[in-house]
Amino acid sequence: MVMSRRNFLKVSAGASGSLMVSMTLPGCAGIQTGYEPDTGEWRPDAWLELTADDEVFFTLARVEMGQGTYTGLTTLIAEELEIQPERITPRFAPVAPEYRNPLYKLQLTGGSTSVATSWEPLRAAGAEARQMLVMAAARVWNVEATECRASDGRVVHPNGIDSMAYGQLVELAAKEVVRGEIALKPQSEWKYIGKQRGKLDARAKSTGTAVYGIDVDLSDMVYGVVSRSPRRGGRVRDFNADQVRAMTGVLDVFEIERGVAVVADKYWRARKAQDALKIDWDFSDAVSLSTGDVFDSYRAAADDDPGESERSEGSFASAIEESDRVVQAEYAQPYLAHATLEPMNATAWYREDRMEVWAPTQAPDLGRIAAARATDLRPDDITINTTFLGGGFGRRLTQDYIEEAAALAYRVGRPVKVIWSREEDTRHDLYRPAMLHRMKASLSGSELTGWRHQIVGPQILDWYVRNAAPAQYPWAPKFMYDTLGKVGLMAEGIATPKDISAIEGAIEYPYRVSNIDIRHTHTDPGIPITWWRSVGFSHNGFAVETFMDELAHEAGEDPYQFRRRLISHEPRHLEVLERVVRLADWQSPVPEGRARGLALFRSFGTYVAQVVEAGIENGAVRVYRVSCSVDCGQVVNPRIVEDQIEGGILFGLTAALYGEITLQNGEVQQSNFHDYPLMRQYERPEVVVDIVDSSETPTGVGEPGVPPVIPALGNALFALNGKRQRSLPLKADV
Amino acid sequence: MAVSLTVNGDERSLNIEEDTPLLWVLRDELGLKGTKFGCGAGLCGACTVHLNGQPVRSCSTPIEMAAGGRVTTIEGLREGDRLHALQEAWIEHGVPQCGYCQSGQIMSAAHLLANNPAPSREDIVAAMTGNLCRCGTYSRIIAAVESVAGAESSGRSQGREA
Repeated sequence: MVMSRRNFLKVSAGASGSLMVSMTLPGCAGIQTGYEPDTGEWRPDAWLELTADDEVFFTLARVEMGQGTYTGLTTLIAEELEIQPERITPRFAPVAPEYRNPLYKLQLTGGSTSVATSWEPLRAAGAEARQMLVMAAARVWNVEATECRASDGRVVHPNGIDSMAYGQLVELAAKEVVRGEIALKPQSEWKYIGKQRGKLDARAKSTGTAVYGIDVDLSDMVYGVVSRSPRRGGRVRDFNADQVRAMTGVLDVFEIERGVAVVADKYWRARKAQDALKIDWDFSDAVSLSTGDVFDSYRAAADDDPGESERSEGSFASAIEESDRVVQAEYAQPYLAHATLEPMNATAWYREDRMEVWAPTQAPDLGRIAAARATDLRPDDITINTTFLGGGFGRRLTQDYIEEAAALAYRVGRPVKVIWSREEDTRHDLYRPAMLHRMKASLSGSELTGWRHQIVGPQILDWYVRNAAPAQYPWAPKFMYDTLGKVGLMAEGIATPKDISAIEGAIEYPYRVSNIDIRHTHTDPGIPITWWRSVGFSHNGFAVETFMDELAHEAGEDPYQFRRRLISHEPRHLEVLERVVRLADWQSPVPEGRARGLALFRSFGTYVAQVVEAGIENGAVRVYRVSCSVDCGQVVNPRIVEDQIEGGILFGLTAALYGEITLQNGEVQQSNFHDYPLMRQYERPEVVVDIVDSSETPTGVGEPGVPPVIPALGNALFALNGKRQRSLPLKADV
Repeated sequence: MAVSLTVNGDERSLNIEEDTPLLWVLRDELGLKGTKFGCGAGLCGACTVHLNGQPVRSCSTPIEMAAGGRVTTIEGLREGDRLHALQEAWIEHGVPQCGYCQSGQIMSAAHLLANNPAPSREDIVAAMTGNLCRCGTYSRIIAAVESVAGAESSGRSQGREA
């Protein structure tokens, strides 16, 4: 990243003599909020604030949902500021243009981008503050700034004995002007980056004191629950409002856009009232699909339309003609729910023409749009307070739960907390899309000469742009919202990023093949979808790496040797492949009744190779061991990298073994953890994570562990019993 | 109904419908938000507390069943300023990711160690299998429990247990 420091750092004196460092990220220069010295309040665009009481506050613009930003991003600031990360208090960012994710032009946390996009700017902010503190101290002591050094929250005099705490210096430091570029510390001087250190939120999360959205407590607060149409698109015709309103504790029962809301003084009373609620639904415009219909429609679309070309090299047709063998296979993957352990919830309070919202959200600026939509308020009238998130995985990028809380609070005039039940959370999720893949390849001898991948299914931006486009233009009048959404879709690649959600992980096909034809047949059956931990990579990874295994088998070659030969031009792929093969002792004999499978896959800039050792016990698939080599560039916190990769592996295995949302006549059939199971402690395989030592720019780790484990497990089962797993979830008795 | 119960050592009395789950009493009536709502059906373990020394799923325990009982929640596990040894181990091992399930995990582990100070790996896995973690912290949980179990057998104290 090349940027002039002056372009994105602003330093100012804050209230009561604190030092504040603000940043304007590239691309946001036109809309920064300037420094207003007379307000005297904490400025929402300050990334870093040092107070005279020797406190350090760091505004965390990427939310904490378990992926470790709370520790990881704070570590980046701490390293250059020369202070222990534990001395810094992170606070969750309010909505402001400065906190947008520069890759998306939205204030969202997703796509495994937090460390990658913060790596340069956060260290620069820390370095600038440190330099100003050193300059202030030098002025006090009347020595050269270059002779002083910062260490552990203090500036040390050239005599090596005297020192001043940062708190003593902030008032003076705010007046210093740093000229020229500040060199960031060389890797050899790092104290915190790349070192084994604890997590800054571990104490709060081990003592029950971390505040999640569901824990928000306001005086005079009431509770709301919402009954939504069991089939998408159903409308409320009538409901027994009077009867329900008469129940104990019930304050109001009314229709909102998404269904019927019950508000009561206690949560349990709201639930009991909801049980008594009888709604007459009009399903005339409702979805009536069953899962089989979805896949039938995909197959029909695939037959009709070869799809838009997303990558084309050489001539696939000639490759087929000249080959001596053609291999074809079709892969299918189901809808998947997110199943965050904290169900969807949000709290909203409308008073004096303003609304305040507290919510576990991955995209607070979109939350503001959602609340504006549900009320007559403008985004500027709405404040979003982000809490800890009890899991995100992409689910909390969509703000439907904030929309509901806002609608209820706007009517009730008291703080309202809306909590979804687990059943509602499962049935009214927006799912990882069900997808179909048609694969075709040509072999000449053992040589892979042609690769064709036809991806069939919907695109997520079609669903997401509704709130995302207005969030990019928060000053736009509300009547424009729908137009903005449509323009966003039409101007895809210009106004909004090109939607690669369906094809990511397919178009980057890395193996050396001369003739490549990758296509997307765009078809949308109308079932709500959204991002899901690794999204497109999760389904394309399964198709690509299973088919590679099929081809290795067809070519009569060991799956490792086959891949190795075709990836020798990609050094980082090659390295993780070689390392995982050693780690798993790939060539060694497998215990009786077990087999190994391999997959190699890059996503979010991170290279991952995995070997799964699995078997079938008592008619069920059993995973014994997963070996994983990962190259994510420079590691900020090794423990968090291990955790994220291992967590991704278990997330992927859960999908591979159990994950399936099915529809019957438009209704989701799963509801809770008995029919949408998650992997449990007793099923956990041994997971070994091997991290490549690298000083490349860091890349994401939250998602890349997920995609390869699914095909690696399927490939292991093929090695075990010769039966190819072409649809998910995997089955012991294909 | 009028209900009295002892929560983390304190006598608490309240008036509440008898079918209200203990979870919502703890969270919304007594302000103890450390115990979490995950599934409402006793399937995930996020709401685990100790009732008369036994781990229960508070989301599925009507308050009438807890009347007169002794309840310990994550907030009551510590003794004075000192955290429970498991909480220290959780911090030391950096167990939590999103952290939402961890109160329940710790309460299940605390019950295990109170009754079996030197559990085998199999004992630990069996005791912890009712607690779901969506982030995948299972291996750190085992390591943290084993570290306390190991220290236990060498005589370290581990705080209060209901």
